[in-house]
Amino acid sequence: MARFRYIITLIVFFVMPALTISFGQTINKGRDKYVLLTMPYNMRPLTLYRGQFQVNAGYKFAVWTQSYNSEGDIVFLKTKGTGSVYHYYFVDLRYGLTDFIEIGAETNFIRRGVRSESVTYAASAVSTSDRISVNKLTEVKGMGDILLMTTVRPPMKYRWFDLSLTGGLFLPSSKYEPQKPTNTVVSTSAATNSFTVNYHYNYKNGYGVPVYLVSASFKMSIKKFSSEADWTFKTPVKEGKSIRWEETLVDKAFSYFDKSYRYLLSNAYILNTSLHYQATGWFDVNLNGSFQRTKGGWTEYWGNKYINPETRLFTIEPGFELQISPSLTIYQVAGFPLKGKNSYAPFYLFTTIRFSNFLSFGK
Amino acid sequence: MINISIMKKSVIIYLLIIFAPAVYSQSEKQLVPSDLKQQTVVTETVTLRKGFLRVGTLLNYRVVDKYFTDTGKKEYYVTSTWGSKSAYNLTLQYGLSDRFQIDLITEYMNMRQESQSTEIVAATNSTKITVARQKGLGIGDSHVSLKYQLLPEAKYKLSLTGALNVTVPTGEKNPKNILSANQYDLPVGDGTYSIGLNLSARSIAYPYSFTCYLGYTKNFTGTKIINAADPIEKKFRFGNIFEGGLGANLHLNEWIVMANEINFYHEGQGKIDNIISDKMPVSWAASYEPSLIFQVKRFRLGESVKIPVKGKNVPADPLYVVMIQYVF
Repeated sequence: MARFRYIITLIVFFVMPALTISFGQTINKGRDKYVLLTMPYNMRPLTLYRGQFQVNAGYKFAVWTQSYNSEGDIVFLKTKGTGSVYHYYFVDLRYGLTDFIEIGAETNFIRRGVRSESVTYAASAVSTSDRISVNKLTEVKGMGDILLMTTVRPPMKYRWFDLSLTGGLFLPSSKYEPQKPTNTVVSTSAATNSFTVNYHYNYKNGYGVPVYLVSASFKMSIKKFSSEADWTFKTPVKEGKSIRWEETLVDKAFSYFDKSYRYLLSNAYILNTSLHYQATGWFDVNLNGSFQRTKGGWTEYWGNKYINPETRLFTIEPGFELQISPSLTIYQVAGFPLKGKNSYAPFYLFTTIRFSNFLSFGK
Repeated sequence: MINISIMKKSVIIYLLIIFAPAVYSQSEKQLVPSDLKQQTVVTETVTLRKGFLRVGTLLNYRVVDKYFTDTGKKEYYVTSTWGSKSAYNLTLQYGLSDRFQIDLITEYMNMRQESQSTEIVAATNSTKITVARQKGLGIGDSHVSLKYQLLPEAKYKLSLTGALNVTVPTGEKNPKNILSANQYDLPVGDGTYSIGLNLSARSIAYPYSFTCYLGYTKNFTGTKIINAADPIEKKFRFGNIFEGGLGANLHLNEWIVMANEINFYHEGQGKIDNIISDKMPVSWAASYEPSLIFQVKRFRLGESVKIPVKGKNVPADPLYVVMIQYVF
């Protein structure tokens, strides 16, 4: 009997805890949900973890007060009164199918109005009559295309370097064709034959044709320092067709008709190289250099194809990444243009809020 | 019998061992002054505690791109004109008592307005390009504010604070260096005194706080040059201002607060030489202002953007605000 009690006691004190440890709830240190969600930039791979999803919502406010001409010289738009503001909103959704494959989708919305220099046509310099003032505003507004993409990386644990390859396709989901202009004529009551013509062109967002995207990334970390570089190439799948609005002004009233034209989008090349310093586990500061170039493609005018001008822009972007909570992170970068060609040179602030979590979390 | 006695004693000793630490070790954390100076916008008192001094600077930036018309429609400025307005604001706040606070505020203004237009004259077959580059630099108007907790938070769940605000026209009110109708230095001050009363309420339900305020400002009559082309000082009076707002603030973690505010502003009709003027029309705006405020020890860093949603005769561009404060 005593032997039986001894055995029971042994079972209760040693075997049961062992069973609990073996089959009960345990923390898997390698895949703890909160460890993965709070993984600092210098310790995480280029793709999401298996089962992790991420929603990024961002807003870019850009002030376009200068541009680069075809010689690469700066043109100060604000001194001509033609500076403009660019509002860019974007949202993307990503999901880690495995620790090595990520899928995602993103789209955007832009709003921007560009003023041209106002011109007055006068019969005489001293008379207030017979004067026509012309203002021109080109507005771009609307949803962009939807980009679907997949990223793969080598099936290895991130230690100090990583590689990834992304393939994607922009679906021409936006209403890219321009809307009818909303030009107006305002009479100047005080003077005869004097009036103001306000041209207002309404362009939309989007490419109008499917566009391929290929991107390759590299990341390397040494202690608290990291470096990341990515190269992206975008090319249209095919030629596109759109419309161009023409107008006629008779007796202060506009009539419009549209003419179709064909185009081939330029190829776009983007190279980003960034240096990161992980100041603490929740705060990363970085400096990114971004080089964008478009080349090739053509646009049809009056039946003739004209090659699209090549554009270049090099921008430097200091920024930070701040982890607020396991699920919430804020990113902010400021962009300063340094060099370019045939391109606008905006200063911008780009703020992104990221929400991340796991849809399901198993071993 | 002896066994039962031993058992009772054992149980009592056991219970004492278990409960004694729980009874004696539980204590509320005492906040020391240095902790009080590190509280966030959600947890701090609505007025500074006695002897606390807060110094802060604020940068406002807005461009001139769109506006709300007199019919409430949002439109671009159509002529080739570009402008920006920055204000570097310096604030001193001091707690006269635990319920009474004084604020002194002044600002340095940097205003730019640039335009270019071309005139082509048929009679002489000539082209004339008119360029206007105006700037306004200098100390702007200053403000004094006295705040008193009518219903202190220490006693009630809802605090109620009254404020008296006085604006002193320390900024240059007239255009300077007038060379022509569109070549002059912009004025950086309004040129008039004003007095305002403000009533604000706040309730804290950690990690949230909810705020509400109403304010009314009366503008007094002043004199200034209204039009650079007619450089004679004229009597004027801006319309009186009514303001109101609702806010909800949330602690994202222990030291970051996300603040949200919806505010409404209405300015009445202004007069020039006691006559209603088109240059000072009735205007109003309803705006949304999200902010992120970081509390790093005694430093407070904030970033917000005020987005006009609806309005009439007011700018429709977002106003960016960056703030830094320190409590001594």
